[in-house]
Amino acid sequence: MIEGNSTFIHVGQIHVDYAPAAISTILGSCVSVCLYDRKMGIGGMNHYLLPFWNGNSLQSPKFGNIAIPKLIDNMLEYGAGIKNIEAKIFGGASMNISSQFNMMIGEKNILVAREILKEYRIPIVAEDVGRENGRKIQFNLQNSKVLLKYTAKVGNETRR
Amino acid sequence: MSNIVNEKNLNDELKFLSKKILELNKRLIEGEKAKSIFLSLVANKLNNPMTAIMGILPHLKVVDTKKNRLLFELVCKEAFNLDFKIQNMVMASEIESGNIDNSYALVNPTEILDEVIGNLRYLIKEKNIEIKIYNKLKQKVVLDTKKVYLIFRNLISNGCKYGFENSLLEIDLEVKEPMFIIKVKNRGEAPKVKYKSEIFTRFSNEVSAKHGLGIGLSVVREICERLNGTIEYEAEDGFVTFIVNIPLDEKMLDSKTYGSNEFVFDSFDDAIEL
Repeated sequence: MIEGNSTFIHVGQIHVDYAPAAISTILGSCVSVCLYDRKMGIGGMNHYLLPFWNGNSLQSPKFGNIAIPKLIDNMLEYGAGIKNIEAKIFGGASMNISSQFNMMIGEKNILVAREILKEYRIPIVAEDVGRENGRKIQFNLQNSKVLLKYTAKVGNETRR
Repeated sequence: MSNIVNEKNLNDELKFLSKKILELNKRLIEGEKAKSIFLSLVANKLNNPMTAIMGILPHLKVVDTKKNRLLFELVCKEAFNLDFKIQNMVMASEIESGNIDNSYALVNPTEILDEVIGNLRYLIKEKNIEIKIYNKLKQKVVLDTKKVYLIFRNLISNGCKYGFENSLLEIDLEVKEPMFIIKVKNRGEAPKVKYKSEIFTRFSNEVSAKHGLGIGLSVVREICERLNGTIEYEAEDGFVTFIVNIPLDEKMLDSKTYGSNEFVFDSFDDAIEL
């Protein structure tokens, strides 16, 4: 049972909140990084579509290398301590088409999350990434747990 | 066996290249940071006073002489123009911050269109542009009003600014299930770019200065993506046409919770806990 606000985020959105609250989203090849500061009870989630900013559109958090540093900045602005933050990562499924056409977006999205979190020295305490299924996740900030359900194969859905 | 080796090599190559791109991209982001800070500053510092000016403007009483009327029109035109630019920057800043959500309502798009044309009346009058609306909509549709307003405003404003004087600007509105389609067509020169996508690039150096800051169309493209839609443009025989496709979500119509997506979550019974 979720207490407090429950917020759904779409691609390119970032949400940070204080416990009790919950943040949820649906992922295909997209990746969500969930961050949590246990001491302060502050948690946040992003949802990005592509690994790297292309240099010509807006610096939107639909790109992993924009979304993850921005999520960390937002957590710090809310009062989280960088040393207390831990991460969970989800998503990055392979689309249900021949791998030679999907440009391995899911794989790259996962790789970017791992690399950037390593750079910030934020430990990844749980993850459920890759494979072919989409995921529905709900991050409960009261106990820092993420509830996860698999959706039908990504190729049958319109979710990104 | 050789397939496994190939796959491993491919994965290693992918990791190596991705790390390289990440490193190079970091420098690019640093280099472009000033633009993002500028956008955010403008959004925060200029928006409130501009809103106040726009609120006060209709209450001003002008001593009715021809000269005063002309001056007042000039002030209004520039104020509307400045307000529009600030709205674009505010939207760009919201998109970049990640604090942006879709807020749906059942609306008549022609009402949004009328508001946009009203706000552009001075520019339309100055260039003597005739606007024709082909409205094929039979009913109201569920849309994010604020975002659709900015789409209309940018496309029509561009059509007027860069279209020829005394020309025609045509606007088509229609629903071809499941899409809401907007077409804005004007007579004028197309932006001279090597690749089509460059006209949607923010602050692009590739687009000639007379075609503006280069933020409006980048905002329109981002808005379309937020609404799961697309934007295309065609330039042929002296006509420039922008075509926007926005999917109409049936679930939105049935849902009483416009602006949230709670309905996609039935339950988390038997979910895995991590």
